[in-house]
Amino acid sequence: MIGSVNLLIGLAMGLNLMALGSSRLPSVIRAMAVQGVALGLLPLLMSEHFELLVALAAVGTVIIKGFVIPHLLRRAMRAANIDREVEPLVGYVPSLLLGAAGTIAAVAVTYRLPLLPEHAHTLLVPGSLATIFTGFILLICRVKAISQVCGYLILENGIYLFGLLLIRSTPFLVESGILLDLTVGVFVIGIIADRIQRAFDSLDTRKLTVLRE
Amino acid sequence: MTGDLLLLSLICLAAGTAVGPRLAGAWLALTLAGASAALGAAILVLYGGAAWEWRSAVSLGGEALHLRLDAVSAMFMALLGVVGGAGAVFAQGYWTDGEHPDSAPRGRLWWDAMLLSMSVVLLSSNGLHFLIAWELFAISSYFLISLERERREARAAGWLFLAASHAGTLCLFAFFAVLAGRNGTWDLGPMQGRAELAPFFWLALAGFGVKAGLFPMHVWLPSAHASAPSHVSALMSGMAINMGVYGIVRFSGWMPAPALAGWAMVGAGACGAVLGIAFALAQNDLKRLLAYCSVENVGVIFMGLGGAMLGAAHGDAPWGRLLLAGALLHVWNHGLCKSLLFLCAGSVLHATGTREMSRLGGLWRAMPWTAALFAMGSVAISGLPPLNGFVSEWLVYLGLFDAVSGRGVLGWAAMPAAVALAGAGALALASFVKAGAVVFLGAARTEAAAPAHECGALMRAPMLALGGACALLALAPAAAWPALARATGAWHPAWADPATPVPLAVLGFVNTALALCLAAAVGALWARVRVNGLRRAPTWDCGYAAPDARMQYTGGSFGRTASDWFSWILLPERVMRRPRGPFPPNTVLFERVPETVLERLVSPVAAGVMRLASGARRLQHGRVQFYIVYLVGGITVLAILALLG
Repeated sequence: MIGSVNLLIGLAMGLNLMALGSSRLPSVIRAMAVQGVALGLLPLLMSEHFELLVALAAVGTVIIKGFVIPHLLRRAMRAANIDREVEPLVGYVPSLLLGAAGTIAAVAVTYRLPLLPEHAHTLLVPGSLATIFTGFILLICRVKAISQVCGYLILENGIYLFGLLLIRSTPFLVESGILLDLTVGVFVIGIIADRIQRAFDSLDTRKLTVLRE
Repeated sequence: MTGDLLLLSLICLAAGTAVGPRLAGAWLALTLAGASAALGAAILVLYGGAAWEWRSAVSLGGEALHLRLDAVSAMFMALLGVVGGAGAVFAQGYWTDGEHPDSAPRGRLWWDAMLLSMSVVLLSSNGLHFLIAWELFAISSYFLISLERERREARAAGWLFLAASHAGTLCLFAFFAVLAGRNGTWDLGPMQGRAELAPFFWLALAGFGVKAGLFPMHVWLPSAHASAPSHVSALMSGMAINMGVYGIVRFSGWMPAPALAGWAMVGAGACGAVLGIAFALAQNDLKRLLAYCSVENVGVIFMGLGGAMLGAAHGDAPWGRLLLAGALLHVWNHGLCKSLLFLCAGSVLHATGTREMSRLGGLWRAMPWTAALFAMGSVAISGLPPLNGFVSEWLVYLGLFDAVSGRGVLGWAAMPAAVALAGAGALALASFVKAGAVVFLGAARTEAAAPAHECGALMRAPMLALGGACALLALAPAAAWPALARATGAWHPAWADPATPVPLAVLGFVNTALALCLAAAVGALWARVRVNGLRRAPTWDCGYAAPDARMQYTGGSFGRTASDWFSWILLPERVMRRPRGPFPPNTVLFERVPETVLERLVSPVAAGVMRLASGARRLQHGRVQFYIVYLVGGITVLAILALLG
């Protein structure tokens, strides 16, 4: 069982690098969606016996993260007529290298953290740290609002992964809290992106510097 | 009774603030009522005895209201009533709606707001409310200084005042917060036994010293006093800077002060007295001269206060009490004379439209009242008998002499202080001889001074009232003693003896006799002139073919010798092109005395701070990505700290 959990988390970590390395928005969205599905399945694998609430939450996560949000993003992309290009501030290779370095650092740091014995042998903590770091890299190094939404969602995935540490004690709370957080975040960013698009005819966040005062 | 009067005063001033912009007449009545009620309450406390204290269950900002009017604050409240009322009447003639339709209504509003906030500062006995009122006081002063906001000079003076005032208020915030933290309450009151509070007195000294204009924290004072309308200058100089003095008197009486503070105050006071008046002597702007003279007088007051603190620390020496009484009486005297002088300057400005002394001259024929009152104020402020400035400086001299005759290091320190006081007095006389002679004597130097006219009754009445108050304090100084005795008693319980000191009683007779002699001499001269008539003849002009009004002594030539002694700090700038050859081209003589402390010390430091600040501002560029970098950086540093720690 630990094996399959680790496998899924490993997949998510690989998808992190894919999101960092791809130059086109749809593939970033796809990486994020697949990561969402993979992580959504984790609670089912981690709980020892079947629980209806956990199963419902897992199914909800998979549907929202894997299908609803990516669909919304693709639609926004079409509606706003955005270039498919990602437009990086920091190039793909440096981003990839940064991501890889972050992943290694996450694994290294995990060894120094005082973890419970049942978590010590999973990739939960390093995977979550690496995913959070990837989210930050995407947020920092990409220009377009949509790719920033993707960065934000990957960041959320990392936080969700961290929250899974608590799934034994407060399963439903963790799940619903994370889902709620995510939905609100996407709504807010969607609305902001929409407004920015209408006001400035562009989703380039570099053009927002006049708003700083 | 005291409470009722104070309530009446506060209500009148608040109502005056509300109706001021629209109804000038009602505003004047309300302001006068408020000022007289404040004066009445102060007199009740000073001469009736009991201090007034009031605690309310009503809380403001989470703190219960606690008001107190004891003899110390009543001294200042009395001055507030006199100067505030006189200035309000003057403003009705000087800054009329007809001449200043835009700023006169605003001026009325902020005038009452300023009086109100100053009264609340004097009354409040709670640190939080004190700070709120202090800040309102600073803001209303700012709006009054920059009343003529279309003039760049007035705006700059206002900004400088606001910046300096806030630098001081920052210290006061720290001071009151520390007091509240150590005491567990914002409530203020005597805390003499708490020796651990002594170091925080420095914060109070810095915070109140800025507002008082104590040298070298006076940088805001000259331009603010010069650029404000004259009735505002009178209030600023007569009362607002005394609020800083009040803060020092209040907290030096309530809390223990470090041993060094008294020395520092005497030293700064002596330096300020001499250098302030040296700067005054070098000015060409009449109101700027008066402003620097305020720096001198604040120096004298601080000499007295610092000496009083030293006296209290050295076994309650009686000379300490004399110094304190002298300082407090000098607050009154300086407030009255200086507002009188600023009102006279306002009258000159109103009549001629210029404050530059080198453009004036010969005004006494057109403005006899103003000239006479200016002369009276000059004599008083220079500390000459028989006027009131001499009385308070005499008390300070007596205290210093007694300290000299005592043994020890204090005696040796008192001697240079007395010398500094005497030197400042002499230079003050020189400054005012210069101002009086250049402005009022001789002949009109330019067209501006020629068509001058005497000011109207509304402007003359407050000047006469202030002159009368000066004369009263000069001829009957013993009448002020009960008030001074109560104030010194409130400051230090060991100094509450109400018996009038012999020198003060004698001085009253001497002053009266001197005044009578002078009056008799003037009368005799007048009678002789009336009998014999005046013989008019041209001035001996060294044989020039066409003597001109410009061939007179200038202000610069009056003050030149004395201001050369201080050229090391005045750093005068001079541009001169002498006439050469048989057909000389245009010749130039330009002299300017810079604000040395401001231009050489404060401005460079402020520019450095601005450079640092604009460097830090580059972090705020509006790029979302970089903000996230800051965030990640911060979190990473915290994580590393947590891991290592």
